[in-house]
Amino acid sequence: RRGGGSSETMNRFVSLVLLWTLAVLSTTGPVTGAEEGEISFEYHRYEELRKALVSVWLQCPSITRIYTVGESFEGRELLVLEMSDNPGTHEAGEPEFKYIGNMHGNEAVGRELIVYLAQYLCNQYQQGNESIIDLIHTTRIHLMPSMNPDGFEKAASQSGELKDWFVGRSNAQGVDLNRNFPDLDRIVYGNEKEGGANNHLLNNMKKAVDENTKLAPETKAVIRWIMEIPFVLSANLHGGDVVANYPYDETRSAASPDDVTFKSLAKSYSQFNPVMSDPQRAPCRKNDDDTSFTDGITNGGAWYSVPGGMQDFNYLSSNCFEITLELSCDKFPAEDTLKTYWEENRNSLVNYIEQVHRGVKGFVRDLQGAAIFNASISVEGIDHDITTAKDGDYWRLLAAGNYKVSAYAPGYLTVIKKVAVPYSPAIRVDFELESLVERKEEEKEELMDWWKMMSETLNF
Amino acid sequence: MASKGMGVLFLLGIFAVTVSQISAFPTPAEDDKAVVYNRRLTEERPIQEQIAEADDVKAAVESADTKPAVEPKEVKEAEPEQENDDFTLLKSLAEGQRSKETNETPVRESLEKEPYFPDESDSTKNRRLVEDYDSTKMENDDPESFRQVDGTPLTAEDIVQKIATKIYEEDDRGVFDRIVSKLLRLGLITDSQADSLEYEVAEALQDLITKNAKNNEIEDLGEDYPVTRGDQDDQNPDASMDVTGSPNRRYDEEDDDEDQAAIDDDVDRGEGVDTVDNTWDRESEGEGEEEERSEGERDEGNELSPEDGLQDLQYFPNFYRLLKSLDSEQDTQERETLITIMKTLIDFVKMMVKYGTITPEEGVSYLENLDAMIALQTKNKLGKTLGIPGIIPPTGKTPEDDDNTKAEAAKMQKEYENLKDSTKEEAPSTETRDHPGKSEIYLEAIRKNIEWLKKHNKDEGKDDYDLSKLRDFMDQQVDSYIDKGIIEKGEGETIKRIYGSL
Repeated sequence: RRGGGSSETMNRFVSLVLLWTLAVLSTTGPVTGAEEGEISFEYHRYEELRKALVSVWLQCPSITRIYTVGESFEGRELLVLEMSDNPGTHEAGEPEFKYIGNMHGNEAVGRELIVYLAQYLCNQYQQGNESIIDLIHTTRIHLMPSMNPDGFEKAASQSGELKDWFVGRSNAQGVDLNRNFPDLDRIVYGNEKEGGANNHLLNNMKKAVDENTKLAPETKAVIRWIMEIPFVLSANLHGGDVVANYPYDETRSAASPDDVTFKSLAKSYSQFNPVMSDPQRAPCRKNDDDTSFTDGITNGGAWYSVPGGMQDFNYLSSNCFEITLELSCDKFPAEDTLKTYWEENRNSLVNYIEQVHRGVKGFVRDLQGAAIFNASISVEGIDHDITTAKDGDYWRLLAAGNYKVSAYAPGYLTVIKKVAVPYSPAIRVDFELESLVERKEEEKEELMDWWKMMSETLNF
Repeated sequence: MASKGMGVLFLLGIFAVTVSQISAFPTPAEDDKAVVYNRRLTEERPIQEQIAEADDVKAAVESADTKPAVEPKEVKEAEPEQENDDFTLLKSLAEGQRSKETNETPVRESLEKEPYFPDESDSTKNRRLVEDYDSTKMENDDPESFRQVDGTPLTAEDIVQKIATKIYEEDDRGVFDRIVSKLLRLGLITDSQADSLEYEVAEALQDLITKNAKNNEIEDLGEDYPVTRGDQDDQNPDASMDVTGSPNRRYDEEDDDEDQAAIDDDVDRGEGVDTVDNTWDRESEGEGEEEERSEGERDEGNELSPEDGLQDLQYFPNFYRLLKSLDSEQDTQERETLITIMKTLIDFVKMMVKYGTITPEEGVSYLENLDAMIALQTKNKLGKTLGIPGIIPPTGKTPEDDDNTKAEAAKMQKEYENLKDSTKEEAPSTETRDHPGKSEIYLEAIRKNIEWLKKHNKDEGKDDYDLSKLRDFMDQQVDSYIDKGIIEKGEGETIKRIYGSL
């Protein structure tokens, strides 16, 4: 009966709305700012996560887009919320950035922080926050709250507040995703010694990925994602300690070629996190060895060895610089602490995105103005080249200093330029490369002209 | 309990409780099928005993006039010119009533539970409609005698009617309480029976009021009463609460202007509201069905003076009190949020009525229930009462099953979404089982976006954003998200409908 159903329905709807209203009333206490009042600091299970992202999209459809990079082992979507002024497209010259959280399913804080960040950026954008507006207009930000949704469900399903140190860490197949990436560190270490490429080390990457049976579906999806989008800067969110960790993760005696840049990037995160940067902070557990931590940052390998990790894979297989952020001593803390974690990390999270606008950037084109894809950008003194994307655009992160930057592509003549790089913003350096063929043609023409002149003069 | 004011409030509480139990408002019309009564009451207690008890209680109160021309059972009509403020209230509520006629309201829920209920009283009830009533026309028999004119023992229904009449006349809920407490004390009825009795009495009381109104200053408008209380609220932000005279006509006239003003700013509706109002008016006139207009009921907050543009919200005394209790500065935001929510809900109900998804009585009952719920929830959640300590919370329906609630609310949301599309006549879709929380959150998110778009375009001096383009874009995106498994089909429908209804 229509009437009856509606009545009951209405009652319930009404009661629900009222409950919500009154809940809002009774829980809204002193907040640090108007922004905080709009975010609900709670854990999101998969459905809730999906709902939260969809809500951000519905609220800010002109600057967001949701997509999925693939499915987890148990079929959950690996959801990404993209934020930019033109979602869905790479704009030439606009750097790409990503945050990935919760690759260990029981390290939950990162997952939630990314959700809150999405809500925060959308809210701030609509409220006219100029620096956020500017950030979104000049960057393409990709937010993946969870790379391991299956693991999270397992971890979250534990009863009681104390979650086990391991339950839910790996994916549904029992694979630790942060040990599952192709280990390119060993390759690069070898190349350093014997000569060989210093970047893009995964040969036939696509084939290697498709045919590798050891890769978990989540790992594969992320590798394809990295191959497809020309990410420039990234962070990988974890829990269990509090520090900003940078390459290389696999223990060895030397630092990475971009050690200086990485330290600068890692510090840019830790310095805004009062807990992370606190020199007096006691270690998370009494017997922890945090001797490698300074200013809230640490070289990965110096801390402990992580072979097959995602961070190094980014650096060695693509142009993307990634660091690993450990955000909480407790891997899966109580829900009522989430607000505090947000407050501790909000500024760091936003500021770290802004780091993508540092160093040198620009376009590599030929003399006709056509983009040259996959040209190499080399920095003298740093044994790590990066490459241009499809529009010929590149972004070379660098700490402040004076550098010689050169652009090279097969069949073209190399061009070298000197650049003085401030802390920020990025300096625009474009290259017009002359192809070898063109040069030959030019020389030929010159020769013809001379011959003509000679013949006329000498009356050949 | 003894004061008149309290009495009225209790009365209203009863109404709220009652309507939460029923799906529609009782009509003055025949529908006596509508009057459900717990037969056990009759069967378990000898009528005479009941009568005896009731007599004791009612002795002092009775002002027995007889009503010659009317069947005893029917007529509990009270003084139309009741001076009592509270009664004015009731009356004015009743005046708002437009009774289309004769048809029964949809059968009440409880009715269905007792299919064996006899309708022997049908014929008698039918006659109620046409009678004018005033204080001189009371039932023939002494109401206290609990016997019909022809000497047959009263059925339980008769008793309900009698009690209702008493309450109406005395404007004192205490009448009922006294009777029931006595019955309970004597073990003649159980608590649940007392509850049922309460509901029945409340219903009967409602009948009286509506009948009263109908017979009393009914303006023959010749058109359906176009609005539910929800409409009324929005229509008269500036008008006083007094709804005597020709309220309906006035509301109707003012409908367009005030509706626009009152609604648009507070609730993000777009331009559709007015159109809808007009459409609805035409539609409802064309429909020719009958719809109870138990408008009067809503005038609960008569005694509250309009402030701050909250006039349309004053029909919710509990809500209004809640707002008043949020007077401090820091609560301003909550206050605004609440007001917006309430107005949204009011509009919601209004739309549903307009599109015929629910009848006006249902709409009224929803809103009544809403207010009562506010009292209950405020008490529960905030630990404070809203100054109406006696209000009986709706029982049996509220906290049940969260899942049910969610599913139902989602369904409701869909029904709501359907409304704006005038080409759709379908009944509310029941296929989707979305969680309701999503619908609300999505609605909120979309609302924020629309607000931002409006503000953004205003700031930049552009013309209004292109709604249809946005809608198309969103529809497209939603479809693509459904394909990719990012959004569920049901959610997608919801989102599309929300956009469709803007």
